[in-house]
Amino acid sequence: MSAPAASAVRNAAAAVCDPEFPGITIEDLGVLEDVRVGPGGVVSVDLLPTFLGCPALDVIAGDVEAAVATVPGVGDVSVRYLTAPAWTPERITAKGRDKLAAEFTVAIRRRDELSCPVCTSTAVEDVSPFGPTACRAVAYCPECRNPIEVMRR
Amino acid sequence: MRSWSSLDEFEAFIAADGIVEPVDDMPHQYRTELFRFIEMHANSELMGGLTERDYIPRAPGLVRKLGTLAKTQDEIGHAHLLYMVAADLGIKTRDEMLEDLYEGRSKFHNVFHYRVHTWADQVAIAYLVDAAALTTQQAVFKDCSYGPYRRILKRVIAEEGFHMRQGEEMLLRLADGTRAQHDLFQEALDRWWWPVMHFFGPPSKENDLLLRWRIKSATNEALRDRYVQKFVPQLHAYGFVVPDPDLHQDPATGKWVIGEIDWDPLRDTQANVGPDSARRIATARRGWDEASWVRDALEASAATAQGAG
Repeated sequence: MSAPAASAVRNAAAAVCDPEFPGITIEDLGVLEDVRVGPGGVVSVDLLPTFLGCPALDVIAGDVEAAVATVPGVGDVSVRYLTAPAWTPERITAKGRDKLAAEFTVAIRRRDELSCPVCTSTAVEDVSPFGPTACRAVAYCPECRNPIEVMRR
Repeated sequence: MRSWSSLDEFEAFIAADGIVEPVDDMPHQYRTELFRFIEMHANSELMGGLTERDYIPRAPGLVRKLGTLAKTQDEIGHAHLLYMVAADLGIKTRDEMLEDLYEGRSKFHNVFHYRVHTWADQVAIAYLVDAAALTTQQAVFKDCSYGPYRRILKRVIAEEGFHMRQGEEMLLRLADGTRAQHDLFQEALDRWWWPVMHFFGPPSKENDLLLRWRIKSATNEALRDRYVQKFVPQLHAYGFVVPDPDLHQDPATGKWVIGEIDWDPLRDTQANVGPDSARRIATARRGWDEASWVRDALEASAATAQGAG
């Protein structure tokens, strides 16, 4: 079988969604670092964990492996997590930012500024550095009175 | 800020898919019904998180321990967000809600009034109870009329979906395991099946205000039935026996029909006198009291930071 196209392999990996943010891909989140296709269709994928203790790491790696394996010509697939460079919320793409805000009421602090994903007010108040997941803190918008979550670095 | 000159006008707004926001001048009865509903949800997330927490040291293996730890954080985090939304309605403060919970004066879901005996019970909670919660939350989220609650539910549902995926994987491990593992889950199923049936709530009232005002969007019966149709075949496929001697398939429709439900156990849990209610509430109270020094330290630290800044 002929070698798989590198772009097709990358697209397959890039389309995998975060299990806790359906519709938001690992590419949107900046988790997908590198995809390499070697001789014999051997594929290696490098991912960056948002947090080392994230319970979704194995699930994401498994989903990436399964997605890449469906591309014709792909042989062995290996997925690994790198500890450098460190993932930061700046890695989230513009598309990812918009989707997180519009669909999940999750904000990203940019240049120390935080705007409310519901009403765009910048008067957002930090409430707790701990939210439902390791990667998110809790804040509150006094303008529209919605609790919101903020991606942590 | 919106306001409505009459209840009829408000109901017309709701009927036309309107979304109510905290800054709106909502009718008092809508506010109180909404508050009661969200307060119970918040209490249940907290009590559920504490159940989960008990199994962190006992989870079999590092992967399961990590999963249990993360799930505990999820549930407590959900409770935190929901208490914020509830407190914002101005009926009780967060401290008042917690005080009422720890004094046994408010409600939380029936499934958290039972004792967790084994790891298989924990799996039953992750697989059966979380799926039941997800079924009801999806029905609320679908067209909930209150903006902040709907926004939180979207994330809660995504996270509960992930818990279910973990729950199913844990169940498969027991289902495909040794005879002893298989039996362990069967025993858990025997304990949890009826509480899960109760979880969806008693037969609907006529003119349920929660439905009328789109605080929820499906009746208790409809949600229970949706769940039964999905989970009975799954449990059978894994080789388990549903502990209901009257369970059968309707020959005409092919739908699963469950036997008559005894509502007494649900009434007991609603009155906080279920099989494990007293111990659960006392444990939650003790945890809150013993952690008071952490809250004091955080407040003192925040006050110092403010003074310095």
